Amino acid sequence: MKQVNQEDWLDRELREAAPYIDDEGFTTRVLQQLPPPRRGHDLLRAAILLGMTLLASVLAYVVSGGGRFVSVTLERLVALPVLWVFVLALVSGLVVAAAGAVAAISRDRAVQPSLLRT
Amino acid sequence: VELTDADLVARVLVNDDQHAFGELVRRHQSAVRGLLRQLTRTDVALADDLAQQAFLRAYKNIRSFRGEARFSTWLYRIAYNCFREDARRRKELVGIDEEQLQTQHDPQVANPGLRHDLMRALSLLPLNERSAVLLCCQNGLSHDEAARVLDIPLGTVKTNVLRGREKLKRMLADWGLN
Repeated sequence: MKQVNQEDWLDRELREAAPYIDDEGFTTRVLQQLPPPRRGHDLLRAAILLGMTLLASVLAYVVSGGGRFVSVTLERLVALPVLWVFVLALVSGLVVAAAGAVAAISRDRAVQPSLLRT
Repeated sequence: VELTDADLVARVLVNDDQHAFGELVRRHQSAVRGLLRQLTRTDVALADDLAQQAFLRAYKNIRSFRGEARFSTWLYRIAYNCFREDARRRKELVGIDEEQLQTQHDPQVANPGLRHDLMRALSLLPLNERSAVLLCCQNGLSHDEAARVLDIPLGTVKTNVLRGREKLKRMLADWGLN
């Protein structure tokens, strides 16, 4: 028991021997040395992604003969039995939901708390 | 409601929010600077330089923080790595051995206080024992957390804490602890 008290005393002295250190401009000095925020890069990335998406859409439209494949596919869908259309829609919905769930789970855990609150 | 460390990290990750990172620095600067002051044997200027390096490195590598450990533990590890790299450059990683401990501790020297003696005794411990004692006994980390910070096996941490404490008690024997 005496040994335990001695160890407690040593721990307490060690903790009390480390008083709070006032900031005294330390945080400001650190923040001044941080690299500039990366917002510019984000905007550039968004612009590139948008541009590529538009370009790909135009290419797809031209290559597919003016989007004729859409009307052809719709005609085939209309010709399908109702049950088949229902099953197709259900399966598509499940696949999209599963992909979304996997993406959400694999996202960095550190980000999850803020996403859940907002 | 005060934001948790995880919330602030998330803001840094998602929005590159430097104000959020500033809050993290404000919260942990005392502990990190205190640890580094002890590791550098109270070289305040060097400790603060290393602490700045550690926080800058934390900001640049914050995407590698997976949230598996406490943010403070992750920060301690970065700070300890900064210290080790600097110590390697200065070739000061060699600890002080038992013989040195005996010759450096002179009980006849006037002691202004127990805390002064404790800090002096702590500074005389070899680096591996000093680090383990500082993290576990002073900063309240578990042995497992300290093993992550120091990047050594759990058993080695336990041994170093035990040895460090024994040496401290031996060096503080004049105060009637033993």
